[in-house]
Amino acid sequence: MAAHEAGMTHKSEFRAGRQLGLNHVKLGMWLFIASEVMFFGGLIATFLKYKLALPTNEAAHLDVTLVGANTFLLLTSSFTLVLALAGLRDGKRGAFLRNLLFTVLLGALFLAGQGYEFSLLYAEGVTLSSSLFGSTFFTLTGFHGLHVLIGVVWALVLIVRGTRGAYSADNDLGIEIFGLYWHFVDIVWIVLFTLIYLI
Amino acid sequence: MQASTEGRKHTNRSTYALVFLVLVIVTAAEVGLTTLGLPQGSLTVLFLALSLVKAALVAGFYMHLRDDPPVYTYIFVLPAIMLAAFVFMASLY
Repeated sequence: MAAHEAGMTHKSEFRAGRQLGLNHVKLGMWLFIASEVMFFGGLIATFLKYKLALPTNEAAHLDVTLVGANTFLLLTSSFTLVLALAGLRDGKRGAFLRNLLFTVLLGALFLAGQGYEFSLLYAEGVTLSSSLFGSTFFTLTGFHGLHVLIGVVWALVLIVRGTRGAYSADNDLGIEIFGLYWHFVDIVWIVLFTLIYLI
Repeated sequence: MQASTEGRKHTNRSTYALVFLVLVIVTAAEVGLTTLGLPQGSLTVLFLALSLVKAALVAGFYMHLRDDPPVYTYIFVLPAIMLAAFVFMASLY
Protein backbone atom coordinates (compact mmCIF):
# COMPACT_ATOMS: atom_id res chain seq x y z
CA MET A 1 0.00 0.00 0.00
CA ALA A 2 2.71 2.36 1.04
CA ALA A 3 4.79 1.37 -2.00
CA HIS A 4 1.81 1.95 -4.23
CA GLU A 5 1.29 5.40 -2.77
CA ALA A 6 4.97 6.19 -3.19
CA GLY A 7 4.73 5.11 -6.82
CA MET A 8 1.78 7.37 -7.43
CA THR A 9 3.55 10.26 -5.78
CA HIS A 10 6.57 9.73 -7.97
CA LYS A 11 4.37 9.59 -11.07
CA SER A 12 2.61 12.82 -10.24
CA GLU A 13 5.90 14.45 -9.32
CA PHE A 14 7.22 13.34 -12.73
CA ARG A 15 4.26 14.91 -14.48
CA ALA A 16 4.74 18.10 -12.55
CA GLY A 17 8.32 18.32 -13.83
CA ARG A 18 9.98 16.99 -10.71
CA GLN A 19 11.44 13.72 -11.93
CA LEU A 20 13.95 13.55 -9.10
CA GLY A 21 11.29 14.36 -6.54
CA LEU A 22 12.87 17.80 -6.65
CA ASN A 23 11.76 20.96 -8.35
CA HIS A 24 13.97 21.22 -11.44
CA VAL A 25 14.10 25.00 -11.52
CA LYS A 26 15.07 25.13 -7.87
CA LEU A 27 17.65 22.38 -8.34
CA GLY A 28 19.07 24.33 -11.27
CA MET A 29 19.33 27.47 -9.15
CA TRP A 30 21.17 25.60 -6.40
CA LEU A 31 23.60 24.15 -8.95
CA PHE A 32 24.18 27.67 -10.27
CA ILE A 33 24.80 28.85 -6.69
CA ALA A 34 27.32 26.00 -6.26
CA SER A 35 29.18 27.31 -9.32
CA GLU A 36 29.02 30.83 -7.84
CA VAL A 37 30.65 29.53 -4.65
CA MET A 38 33.61 28.45 -6.77
CA PHE A 39 33.58 31.72 -8.75
CA PHE A 40 33.75 33.89 -5.64
CA GLY A 41 36.04 31.28 -4.07
CA GLY A 42 38.69 31.91 -6.71
CA LEU A 43 38.49 35.67 -6.19
CA ILE A 44 38.53 35.33 -2.39
CA ALA A 45 41.51 32.94 -2.48
CA THR A 46 43.42 35.41 -4.66
CA PHE A 47 42.60 38.33 -2.37
CA LEU A 48 43.66 36.38 0.75
CA LYS A 49 46.84 35.10 -0.90
CA TYR A 50 48.11 38.63 -1.55
CA LYS A 51 46.77 39.93 1.76
CA LEU A 52 48.84 37.33 3.61
CA ALA A 53 51.89 37.16 1.33
CA LEU A 54 52.24 40.89 0.62
CA PRO A 55 50.79 42.85 3.55
CA THR A 56 50.19 46.50 2.69
CA ASN A 57 49.07 49.50 4.71
CA GLU A 58 46.46 50.29 2.05
CA ALA A 59 43.95 48.21 4.02
CA ALA A 60 44.06 51.00 6.63
CA HIS A 61 42.08 53.17 4.17
CA LEU A 62 39.06 50.86 4.48
CA ASP A 63 36.20 52.39 6.49
CA VAL A 64 34.72 49.58 8.59
CA THR A 65 31.92 51.74 10.03
CA LEU A 66 30.73 52.92 6.59
CA VAL A 67 30.79 49.39 5.20
CA GLY A 68 29.16 48.09 8.39
CA ALA A 69 26.23 50.42 7.69
CA ASN A 70 26.15 49.15 4.11
CA THR A 71 26.12 45.58 5.41
CA PHE A 72 23.09 46.49 7.53
CA LEU A 73 21.28 47.59 4.33
CA LEU A 74 21.94 44.27 2.62
CA LEU A 75 20.91 42.22 5.68
CA THR A 76 17.69 44.26 5.87
CA SER A 77 17.01 43.64 2.17
CA SER A 78 17.14 39.88 2.81
CA PHE A 79 14.66 40.30 5.65
CA THR A 80 12.23 42.33 3.50
CA LEU A 81 12.51 39.70 0.77
CA VAL A 82 11.48 36.80 3.06
CA LEU A 83 8.59 39.00 4.20
CA ALA A 84 7.63 39.53 0.52
CA LEU A 85 7.55 35.76 -0.11
CA ALA A 86 5.63 35.15 3.14
CA GLY A 87 3.14 37.88 2.12
CA LEU A 88 2.67 36.29 -1.30
CA ARG A 89 2.09 32.84 0.22
CA ASP A 90 -0.46 34.31 2.61
CA GLY A 91 -2.27 36.00 -0.27
CA LYS A 92 -1.33 39.47 0.93
CA ARG A 93 -0.52 41.07 -2.40
CA GLY A 94 0.13 44.54 -0.98
CA ALA A 95 2.67 43.24 1.53
CA PHE A 96 4.33 41.16 -1.21
CA LEU A 97 4.83 44.07 -3.62
CA ARG A 98 5.72 46.57 -0.87
CA ASN A 99 8.44 44.36 0.62
CA LEU A 100 9.81 43.51 -2.82
CA LEU A 101 10.07 47.25 -3.50
CA PHE A 102 11.89 47.75 -0.16
CA THR A 103 14.33 45.03 -1.26
CA VAL A 104 15.02 46.92 -4.50
CA LEU A 105 15.52 50.23 -2.66
CA LEU A 106 17.85 48.68 -0.06
CA GLY A 107 19.85 46.95 -2.81
CA ALA A 108 20.15 50.24 -4.70
CA LEU A 109 21.23 52.04 -1.50
CA PHE A 110 23.88 49.35 -0.94
CA LEU A 111 25.22 50.02 -4.44
CA ALA A 112 25.23 53.77 -3.78
CA GLY A 113 27.16 53.13 -0.55
CA GLN A 114 29.64 50.95 -2.38
CA GLY A 115 30.07 53.60 -5.06
CA TYR A 116 30.73 56.19 -2.33
CA GLU A 117 33.28 53.86 -0.67
CA PHE A 118 35.03 53.29 -4.01
CA SER A 119 35.18 57.04 -4.67
CA LEU A 120 36.76 57.64 -1.23
CA LEU A 121 39.38 54.96 -1.88
CA TYR A 122 40.18 56.36 -5.32
CA ALA A 123 40.57 59.84 -3.81
CA GLU A 124 43.12 58.34 -1.39
CA GLY A 125 45.05 56.68 -4.20
CA VAL A 126 43.80 53.10 -3.76
CA THR A 127 42.73 52.14 -7.27
CA LEU A 128 42.22 49.07 -9.43
CA SER A 129 45.77 49.40 -10.73
CA SER A 130 47.55 50.95 -7.73
CA SER A 131 48.68 47.66 -6.22
CA LEU A 132 47.85 43.96 -5.90
CA PHE A 133 45.68 44.89 -2.90
CA GLY A 134 43.74 47.41 -5.01
CA SER A 135 43.38 45.00 -7.94
CA THR A 136 42.13 42.08 -5.86
CA PHE A 137 39.95 44.27 -3.61
CA PHE A 138 38.12 46.05 -6.44
CA THR A 139 37.77 42.87 -8.52
CA LEU A 140 36.26 40.97 -5.59
CA THR A 141 33.94 43.68 -4.23
CA GLY A 142 33.16 44.91 -7.76
CA PHE A 143 31.95 41.49 -8.88
CA HIS A 144 29.83 41.28 -5.74
CA GLY A 145 28.37 44.70 -6.53
CA LEU A 146 27.63 43.50 -10.06
CA HIS A 147 25.66 40.62 -8.56
CA VAL A 148 23.68 43.07 -6.42
CA LEU A 149 22.99 45.20 -9.54
CA ILE A 150 21.73 42.13 -11.42
CA GLY A 151 19.54 41.30 -8.40
CA VAL A 152 18.08 44.81 -8.31
CA VAL A 153 17.18 44.65 -12.03
CA TRP A 154 15.76 41.13 -11.58
CA ALA A 155 13.62 42.29 -8.63
CA LEU A 156 12.33 45.25 -10.66
CA VAL A 157 11.20 42.82 -13.36
CA LEU A 158 9.47 40.73 -10.67
CA ILE A 159 7.67 43.83 -9.36
CA VAL A 160 6.42 44.72 -12.85
CA ARG A 161 5.26 41.13 -13.40
CA GLY A 162 3.80 41.05 -9.89
CA THR A 163 1.66 44.13 -10.46
CA ARG A 164 0.28 42.36 -13.55
CA GLY A 165 -0.73 39.41 -11.37
CA ALA A 166 1.97 36.96 -12.48
CA TYR A 167 2.45 35.56 -8.96
CA SER A 168 0.11 34.17 -6.37
CA ALA A 169 0.09 31.92 -3.30
CA ASP A 170 0.01 28.92 -5.66
CA ASN A 171 2.48 30.35 -8.13
CA ASP A 172 5.43 31.63 -6.14
CA LEU A 173 8.37 29.78 -7.70
CA GLY A 174 9.68 32.88 -9.52
CA ILE A 175 9.93 34.74 -6.23
CA GLU A 176 11.46 31.81 -4.35
CA ILE A 177 14.15 31.34 -7.02
CA PHE A 178 15.01 35.04 -6.91
CA GLY A 179 15.14 34.74 -3.11
CA LEU A 180 17.77 31.99 -3.35
CA TYR A 181 19.90 34.24 -5.56
CA TRP A 182 19.50 37.34 -3.41
CA HIS A 183 20.15 35.61 -0.09
CA PHE A 184 23.21 33.93 -1.59
CA VAL A 185 24.56 37.34 -2.63
CA ASP A 186 23.89 38.41 0.98
CA ILE A 187 25.88 35.41 2.30
CA VAL A 188 28.78 36.25 -0.02
CA TRP A 189 28.81 39.75 1.47
CA ILE A 190 28.75 38.37 5.03
CA VAL A 191 31.89 36.39 4.17
CA LEU A 192 33.56 39.26 2.29
CA PHE A 193 32.84 41.72 5.11
CA THR A 194 34.66 39.42 7.53
CA LEU A 195 37.60 38.56 5.27
CA ILE A 196 38.22 42.05 3.87
CA TYR A 197 37.17 44.46 6.60
CA LEU A 198 37.24 42.64 9.94
CA ILE A 199 40.30 40.39 9.94
CA MET B 1 5.65 28.19 -13.73
CA GLN B 2 4.47 25.70 -11.18
CA ALA B 3 4.50 26.55 -7.51
CA SER B 4 7.20 24.92 -5.48
CA THR B 5 5.73 22.51 -2.99
CA GLU B 6 9.04 22.08 -1.21
CA GLY B 7 9.53 23.89 2.06
CA ARG B 8 5.94 25.02 2.23
CA LYS B 9 5.76 24.49 5.96
CA HIS B 10 7.43 27.86 5.95
CA THR B 11 8.96 29.63 8.85
CA ASN B 12 6.81 32.25 10.47
CA ARG B 13 7.52 35.97 10.49
CA SER B 14 8.65 36.17 14.12
CA THR B 15 11.39 33.63 13.40
CA TYR B 16 12.47 35.66 10.35
CA ALA B 17 12.55 38.78 12.53
CA LEU B 18 14.58 37.00 15.23
CA VAL B 19 17.14 35.83 12.64
CA PHE B 20 17.36 39.40 11.30
CA LEU B 21 17.87 40.76 14.82
CA VAL B 22 20.70 38.29 15.52
CA LEU B 23 22.38 39.13 12.19
CA VAL B 24 22.27 42.87 12.90
CA ILE B 25 23.39 42.62 16.53
CA VAL B 26 26.31 40.31 15.68
CA THR B 27 27.41 42.60 12.82
CA ALA B 28 27.18 45.69 15.04
CA ALA B 29 29.17 43.91 17.76
CA GLU B 30 31.84 42.94 15.20
CA VAL B 31 32.19 46.54 13.99
CA GLY B 32 32.36 47.66 17.64
CA LEU B 33 35.10 45.12 18.42
CA THR B 34 37.30 46.39 15.59
CA THR B 35 37.31 49.88 17.15
CA LEU B 36 38.59 48.63 20.53
CA GLY B 37 42.11 48.00 19.25
CA LEU B 38 42.28 44.47 20.65
CA PRO B 39 45.08 42.17 19.40
CA GLN B 40 44.04 41.15 15.88
CA GLY B 41 45.04 37.50 16.22
CA SER B 42 42.58 36.72 18.99
CA LEU B 43 39.69 38.26 17.07
CA THR B 44 40.36 36.57 13.73
CA VAL B 45 39.07 33.17 14.84
CA LEU B 46 36.03 34.78 16.50
CA PHE B 47 35.17 36.83 13.37
CA LEU B 48 35.54 33.77 11.11
CA ALA B 49 33.30 31.70 13.39
CA LEU B 50 30.67 34.45 13.58
CA SER B 51 30.60 34.83 9.78
CA LEU B 52 29.96 31.09 9.49
CA VAL B 53 27.11 31.38 12.00
CA LYS B 54 25.58 34.33 10.10
CA ALA B 55 25.89 32.54 6.74
CA ALA B 56 24.28 29.41 8.23
CA LEU B 57 21.39 31.48 9.62
CA VAL B 58 20.67 33.07 6.23
CA ALA B 59 20.97 29.74 4.36
CA GLY B 60 18.99 27.77 6.93
CA PHE B 61 16.09 30.15 7.52
CA TYR B 62 15.94 32.65 4.62
CA MET B 63 16.90 30.12 1.91
CA HIS B 64 14.72 27.50 3.64
CA LEU B 65 17.43 24.84 3.76
CA ARG B 66 16.08 23.72 7.15
CA ASP B 67 12.74 22.78 5.56
CA ASP B 68 13.86 21.67 2.09
CA PRO B 69 15.27 18.27 1.03
CA PRO B 70 18.87 17.91 2.29
CA VAL B 71 20.24 17.46 -1.25
CA TYR B 72 20.16 21.28 -1.68
CA THR B 73 22.31 21.66 1.43
CA TYR B 74 24.83 19.14 0.06
CA ILE B 75 24.96 20.98 -3.28
CA PHE B 76 25.71 24.23 -1.43
CA VAL B 77 28.11 22.96 1.25
CA LEU B 78 30.22 20.57 -0.85
CA PRO B 79 31.85 23.25 -3.05
CA ALA B 80 32.33 25.39 0.06
CA ILE B 81 34.29 22.56 1.71
CA MET B 82 36.30 22.01 -1.48
CA LEU B 83 37.00 25.71 -1.55
CA ALA B 84 38.18 25.74 2.08
CA ALA B 85 40.52 22.84 1.28
CA PHE B 86 41.80 24.75 -1.78
CA VAL B 87 42.44 27.94 0.20
CA PHE B 88 44.22 25.91 2.89
CA MET B 89 46.44 24.22 0.31
CA ALA B 90 47.16 27.54 -1.41
CA SER B 91 48.18 29.04 1.93
CA LEU B 92 50.93 26.39 2.28
CA TYR B 93 52.89 27.88 -0.63
